[in-house]
Amino acid sequence: MSAPLHHVIIGSGSAGFGAATTLRQNDDDCRITMITMDSLPFYNRYDLPQVFHGQHDWRELLDVPPAYYDDMRIALRRRSRVVDVDGTNQLVTLAHQESVAYDRLLVCAGGRGYLPENLTGFAGLMHGFGSFEAAMRLYRDLPKGGTAIIIGGDMIGIDLAMTLLDTGYKVSLIATPQTFWPHEVSDEERTQLFAAMTARGITVHKDHRPVGVSRKDAGKSRCCVTLDDGTEVAGDVVLPFCGLTSSVEFMLKAEVDIERGLLVTPELQTSNKTIWAAGDVCQIWRDQEKAYHFYHGWKNVRVMGELAARNMTGTHEVFDTDVEDRIAVDANGQISSTFWTH
Amino acid sequence: MMNKAGTDIQIAICGSAGDGTIASGDIMKRAAALMGYNVIAFDEYPPEIRGFGKCISRIRISSKQAYSLKEQSDVLISLNDSHAIPHAREVRDFGAVIYDDNLVSAVAEGGHMSAHINAAQVPYGFAIRQMSEQATNAARARNIVVLGYLAGLYDLPPEHFREIIKAKFAKKPQAVIDDNTKAFDAGLVAGQAVFKLDDVVVGAAGDEATGSKAVMMTGNGAVVRGFMEAEIQSYFGYPITPATSIMERLAVEMPPKGGNFLQTEDEISAIAAAIGAGYTGSRAATATSGPGLALMAEMLGLGVMAEVPVVVVVSQRGGPSTGLPTKTEQSDLNLAVFGGSGDAQRIVLAPTNVEGCYRCAGMAFDIAETYQTPVILLIDLYLSNRYETVVPSDEASFAPKPRIDVVADENAPYKRFAFTENHISPRALPGQAGLMHTITGLEHNELGRPNDAIHMDMSTKRHEKLNSAVHFPGLNVSKRFGDEGPVDVGILGWGSSFGEVLETMYEAQAEGIRCAAMKVVMLSPLPIEALKEFFADCREILVPELNYEGQFASLVSGALGKPVTRLNRATGSPMVVNEILEEVRRLSGQNQTPLSAAE
Amino acid sequence: MNERVKPVYLEEKLEEIRADGHQDFRSKSLPTWCPGCGYFSMAEGLTFALNRLGLDHKDVVVVSGIGCASRFPFFVSSYGFHTLHGRVLPVATGVKIGNDALTVVAVGGDGDAFAIGGGHIPHAARRNVDMTYLVFDNGIYGLTKGQASPTSALGFKTSSTPYENGDVPLNPLMMLLSYGASWVGQAYAGHQHQLADLITEAMAHKGFSFLRVLSPCVTFDKTDNTYGNLNMMVRTLPDDHDSSDKMAAMAQAMQADHPATGVYYQEQRPTLHQVMNATNDRAEGPGAAKTK
Repeated sequence: MSAPLHHVIIGSGSAGFGAATTLRQNDDDCRITMITMDSLPFYNRYDLPQVFHGQHDWRELLDVPPAYYDDMRIALRRRSRVVDVDGTNQLVTLAHQESVAYDRLLVCAGGRGYLPENLTGFAGLMHGFGSFEAAMRLYRDLPKGGTAIIIGGDMIGIDLAMTLLDTGYKVSLIATPQTFWPHEVSDEERTQLFAAMTARGITVHKDHRPVGVSRKDAGKSRCCVTLDDGTEVAGDVVLPFCGLTSSVEFMLKAEVDIERGLLVTPELQTSNKTIWAAGDVCQIWRDQEKAYHFYHGWKNVRVMGELAARNMTGTHEVFDTDVEDRIAVDANGQISSTFWTH
Repeated sequence: MMNKAGTDIQIAICGSAGDGTIASGDIMKRAAALMGYNVIAFDEYPPEIRGFGKCISRIRISSKQAYSLKEQSDVLISLNDSHAIPHAREVRDFGAVIYDDNLVSAVAEGGHMSAHINAAQVPYGFAIRQMSEQATNAARARNIVVLGYLAGLYDLPPEHFREIIKAKFAKKPQAVIDDNTKAFDAGLVAGQAVFKLDDVVVGAAGDEATGSKAVMMTGNGAVVRGFMEAEIQSYFGYPITPATSIMERLAVEMPPKGGNFLQTEDEISAIAAAIGAGYTGSRAATATSGPGLALMAEMLGLGVMAEVPVVVVVSQRGGPSTGLPTKTEQSDLNLAVFGGSGDAQRIVLAPTNVEGCYRCAGMAFDIAETYQTPVILLIDLYLSNRYETVVPSDEASFAPKPRIDVVADENAPYKRFAFTENHISPRALPGQAGLMHTITGLEHNELGRPNDAIHMDMSTKRHEKLNSAVHFPGLNVSKRFGDEGPVDVGILGWGSSFGEVLETMYEAQAEGIRCAAMKVVMLSPLPIEALKEFFADCREILVPELNYEGQFASLVSGALGKPVTRLNRATGSPMVVNEILEEVRRLSGQNQTPLSAAE
Repeated sequence: MNERVKPVYLEEKLEEIRADGHQDFRSKSLPTWCPGCGYFSMAEGLTFALNRLGLDHKDVVVVSGIGCASRFPFFVSSYGFHTLHGRVLPVATGVKIGNDALTVVAVGGDGDAFAIGGGHIPHAARRNVDMTYLVFDNGIYGLTKGQASPTSALGFKTSSTPYENGDVPLNPLMMLLSYGASWVGQAYAGHQHQLADLITEAMAHKGFSFLRVLSPCVTFDKTDNTYGNLNMMVRTLPDDHDSSDKMAAMAQAMQADHPATGVYYQEQRPTLHQVMNATNDRAEGPGAAKTK
C-alpha cells in the first residue's frame, strides 16, 4: 500500500471547494490541503450582495460549517499567498516562507479584478467587492441612499447594482469594453441592455471612457470619476467591475503553458502531468475550434472543480458544459445572465 | 459560559523566553485593571533559568468577578510559532489567532502557525517583526506591537496601555519609552485597519467595574500586603518555591517600617525564630512550601503545646518530597492540619482566591494571638502566582488592637496556662514584672511546670479553646453558593480549585441541574454545623481537589461520618471545569437512592 | 538596660545589691540533676552573674533545648522557654529579635549543641546575636541514660558504643572561633568561682558569647570526664594570652588534652540588632529599594 497522495488545491472558491469535497469522496486516504488568501472558509461570492440586506455575520454565509473541514480532513490554509510553484520538485512556496510538497496540484486561483491600464494608478481610491470584508467595507463606507459609481459593469457588478437599487441606493455606471463581461454582446443587445438599466434607474454613461478618479471631501459627494471629455461623474464610492484576469503569476516556473490563463486539456490537466486547473484561471482546449476557451459562471466553475478532482484520482472525464452564453432582458425589464443564475 | 452578559474574554500570549511574553501579559492585565475590569492572570514560565523555553501569559478580563481561568482562550497571540502552535487548539471557535505572517527564514511544511488554525478559528496574520523593526530598529518590541494590534482590533482605550508602558519603563532612558510607544502605536494602527472577523467582543466594564481602586495582586503579594497592614513585626524565612517571593517582598517592605526581617539558615530555624519572637509578643511569621512544612512539623507541635502564636504561610506545590516545584497541587492538607507528633491541633485557613489571601493574611496574627497557637495559611502555587484585581480594605482594618495586659497578683504565682471558661489563659509577655514563667514542650500544669498527670485536662484545654474560631468575627470560614435548599449535587471545594468548582456550578445550573457549591476556608477546626447543613441539603456530594489521596474528602467525610464522591486530580495543572461538570452530570442523573455511592 | 563593655567588677554596685537584698534567681522548682552533677555549679554561677549585672527577673529569658542541661529554665526565676532538641539558638535569636530589651541566655548540653544543633551555631555566631550561649559539656547524653555524644572521647565505652567510640570528637572551641563568635571562653564546673566570673564576663559582653563548661556526668561517666580526671587535665590560660589574637586562641584551643579555662577570644563588632537597625536606616534613605 503506497503512501497516501497529498492533493494541494490553490484557491478556496467554488471550484476549489467542489474539488476538495470530491477528492475526499473519491479517495478516503488522501491528504487534502486547500490554500487561499482569504481569511474565511468557503462561501459563495454571489451571496455577497446579501450584506446590503442586513447579512453581516459571515458565519451564516458559509456554505458548510467550519466543522466540516475537520470532519472531512481537509486542511484549510487561510491568509496564505502562493508565491511560487516548482513544477519539477512539486513544491508550492507560500509568501511567509513555508513550502508545501504536493503529489497532485489543482490550481483554482480564479482571477483578480481587471483594471484598465489608465486607471491602475487610482486603485487606492476605489472599493473592491471580492470578499466578505470588502463587501462590509463597502457597506460601511456607502452612506444611506448614497451613490455608487460602477466603472465597467461586468455581471458581478450588474448583480450588485440590482441589489443596491433594491436597497435604496443610487447607481451610476460608466461603460467600458468590459461592460457585460464575460458575455460578448452585439451593439443591438448593448443598446437594449443599457435601456433596461436606465429604466431600472441606473444613470448610464456610455459614450465616454473613464480616465481618472479623484476624491473630494467638500461638497455633497465624496468622489468622482472624470471622463475623457472632462465630465465629472460624482458619487460616494467607486467600484471597478471590469471582469477578471487570471491569477497565474506564481505559476511562471511551474513548467506549464500559460496564455492569458493556464492552458489545460479537456480533462483539465496542464502540460505538467501533476498539475490540473479549474475555474476562471484556466483556458480549456476546444478541439472543434482548435482554440483555448475560458468558461465562467458559477455552475461552470463548480463543475470544472469537481471534474478535475475526479481526474486527479484517475478518471479521464472530459469537460463539457450545457450552460449557454446568453444575456438578455426579461419580461420584467430585469437583466438576466445564464452565468449568474443561482 | 458563566457570564452571559458583559465582557468575559481570555487572552493567551505565547512566546519564547526573551520575547517579552510575560512583560506584554503584564501590561495587558494592568491596562485591563485600569479600564475597570476584573482580571485574573496566570503566567507559565520555563523551568530553566536561561534558554528559549516556552512562556505563556494568560489574562482573563471580565465585567463580573470570575474565579478561575477558562479552559479555552478567546485570543491567542503567537510571538514564537514553535511554542505557540500546540496552543492553537486552546482557542475557542470563532476566536482569534494572531501571528506573524512575514517570517525572516524558511520553515518546513507545518512550521508556521497558519497551518494549525482550524476552520472555525479566525486568523490574523501581520508583519509583526517588520513593524517592530520599522518602529524601533529592533525586533525586540514585537511584544508591544501585538498589544497595540489587540487594542486596535478590539477597540480598547490606548491611553491606559501607554500609561502602563510609561510606568513599566520609567527607570529606563526616555528613548526606550518612546520606542515602545511607537511600537504600540504602529500595532494600534494596524489593528484598527484590519477587518474584525472574530466574535470576541470587549464591551464596557459595566456596573461591577472595580474602578481605579482595584490593585492587581498575586496571592503572594496579597499575603504580603495583608501582613504589612496587620503590622507584622518579625519575619524569618528560607527560600523555597513558590513561597520565596513573600520573603523577598517583605525583605524590601519591612525594614523601612522598622520591622525585623531575617533570612535564616533553614526552615527549622525560621519557624523556631518566629516562635521565639511570638513568645515575646512580636507579630511573627514565616512562609514555606510542603517540604519546608514537613521540617517545621516538630516546631509547630511546640507552638501548640506551649501556646505560642505564630503565623505560617504554606504555598503548596506538587509532592511528595521534592515533587514538582513549579507545578500546583493541594496535597499538603494532611500535613498542615495534622503534621507534628501527638494531638497537635492548630488553626488552618485555606483561602480560595487572591482576595482571600489578602484578608486571611490580614487577620492571621489576630487569630493566632487570640487563640495562642500557630495559624497556618494554606495556599498553593496557582494562587501564589496568579494575578487578580483586589479592592484593598479601607483604612486600617487589619491593624492590631490594643493589648489587654495581665495584672500580676502579688499573693499568687502567675499561671500562664490557667484553666478558664473559654480555655484561653491570659498571656503575660517577657519583660512584664511579677509574671515570670517558663513555657515548655513538655506537658505542664497551669504554672507551666512539667507535669504528666494533668495531660487529659490540658489536652482538653488546648482543643476546646479552638472551638470558637469558626465564629471569628469578620472571617468567612465557609460559604455556600448556588441553589438554596435541597439540591441534587453539592460540590464541596477548598483552596484555589474552588474557582473551577464555582464555574462548574454555574454551568450545571445553566443545564438545569439543581446544584450548590460550598467553599470551606477554615480546615481546622472545621465548621461542622455549616457542613452538616450542606450535607443534609445535597443528595450527592462531590469533592474535587488537586491531590491523589482525596485529603479534603477524607477530612470532611471522616468528620461528618458521611460518604462523599471524590474527584482527585494530580496533574500539576489546575482542575478542568469540564471534568468536574461530567461528574456533576453523572451524579445528578443517578437513581434517587437515599445513599450516594462513595468511591 | 546597662551599657555593657568589658566587665567591670564594680564593688560599689555589689554593695548596692547586697544592701538591697539581692534578687533570688532560684526558682521554686527543685532541680532534677543528680547529686554531684556539675550543673549545680552552673546554677550558682548564673544566679551570681545575674545579680552581679544588676538584671531584673522580668528582663531575663533563659532558653534551652532538650537534655539535662536544658532543664535549666525551670530552676531560674525569670522568663524561660524550654524548646526542642537542638533548636535553642534559633528560638533564642527570635526572642532577642522580638524584644531587644531582654537579656537572653541560651543553655544546652553537648548533644543538643553539637549534634542536632550543630547547624545553627555558625549562624548565631556569625550574626553576632547579642546573647550568651552556655554549653554544659559532659561528653555524654545524660538524660537518655548515657549514649556517646559528639564530644565523647575516642575509645569511650557508652551504651551506644559498647565496643568503644570510634568517632573523633569535635573541638567546640575551634568551631566557635572559626564561626566568628565574638566571645569564646571555657570554664570548669569544678572551679566554681572562676565559673561564676566567666559567666558574668560572657553575659557582660555585647555580642554572641560562647562559654563551654566542662562538667562531669557523675551517673553515666565513671571513667572519662570525672572530677578526678578533669581536675588533673584542666589548666588556666597563660597569663600572657592575648584574647584579641585569634590564632593564639586557636593554638590554645587545639590542646584538647589539656583544656584551659579562661577567655580565649573576644572582639567588639556590631551585633545583629545594630546591623538590622542600620539596614532599616538605609531602607528609609534616598537609596532605598523600591517594592517590586
